[in-house]
Amino acid sequence: MCRQVASLTFVGTGRGDRGFLSDGATGALNCKQGSNSRDRSFSKVPSDAIRAALIKRLRISSAIADEDIKEIEALPISVRQYPAETAVVRDGERATDCCLIADGFCARSKTIASGKRQILSLHIPGEIPDLMSLFLHVMDHDLSTLTPATLGFISHETLQKLHRRSPTVAEMFWRDTLIDAAMFREWIVNVGQRPAPARLAHVMIELRERLRLIGRLDGNSFEMPLTQEQIGEALGITAVHANRVIRQLRQEGIVELNRGRVTVLDERKFQELADFDGRYLHQSPTL
Amino acid sequence: MPLFHFDIHEDSRLTPDEDGQNFANVDVARKEAMLTGASIAREAFVAGSADHVVVDVREDEHAPCLKISITLEVEELSDG
Repeated sequence: MCRQVASLTFVGTGRGDRGFLSDGATGALNCKQGSNSRDRSFSKVPSDAIRAALIKRLRISSAIADEDIKEIEALPISVRQYPAETAVVRDGERATDCCLIADGFCARSKTIASGKRQILSLHIPGEIPDLMSLFLHVMDHDLSTLTPATLGFISHETLQKLHRRSPTVAEMFWRDTLIDAAMFREWIVNVGQRPAPARLAHVMIELRERLRLIGRLDGNSFEMPLTQEQIGEALGITAVHANRVIRQLRQEGIVELNRGRVTVLDERKFQELADFDGRYLHQSPTL
Repeated sequence: MPLFHFDIHEDSRLTPDEDGQNFANVDVARKEAMLTGASIAREAFVAGSADHVVVDVREDEHAPCLKISITLEVEELSDG
């Protein structure tokens, strides 16, 4: 599955070929995989929908001021639709834009010489997973989509100007990249020290707490659109072992993962297994 | 590429692999089975949930073409 990503064309960042689209749209994505993925599929998304999740998140996690929301609302963003499992920016490439996820799920990963891939982080709407590329221009890992995604690209030049104009926005984005680093620390602990079922539960709860911030929970269930192989790549185990762990959690009545959707069966057991302490997500500016 | 299934036995508990995965050949599938077996055994042994892990590799619905077996043996030495 992800192997085919390598054959998909990467469309470089920062060229003038990205349309700025802002009129009439639906949340529906109509990207296709396979040969069509080479086509640039622009689709029309209202510009406030592009920023909605970002603003929602920043209101809660950084208590963003109204004047700074205006700055973000005024940012020129080029919108593009990506199919599932497609590279957005690759290891070794020079980035000239930062990518805001408006809809869909992405992952950052690194592939070693043997072809084995480690998923480093999962990303949801409202996040800018390659914000560090503003200062670290050459990518040291891959950013790719997991699902069909609507991505908004903000040029580095635009962001630099914004930072100079509004130091409070700059500080907020700085805080964002620090939280990013905190999540990586937790990911290392998870993969290095927890048994596989706890690892999976931890990744699930982290994802849930981040989805909660942007209002994307549905009762006791939420999206986690990863294949067994991708779960294995996130947890450092094989796809078959991942399958075994998913079954175990279901059989023990803790949590069910079915077709990219997690349903919690027993919240207490789930928390206990995950050993989750959400402090590292720094979701409140007062903490 | 052939589709391989990896059925896991932990002591007497079976986890069948319904989905399967494509691998270029049986050698690549063997590597995957070893990684899987070793990784599951590590967890089962540490948790004490099993001391014998077997991975049966089969192509589609055929009989297993490969069996990987990992056993934990702990010997307490009285003079230790």
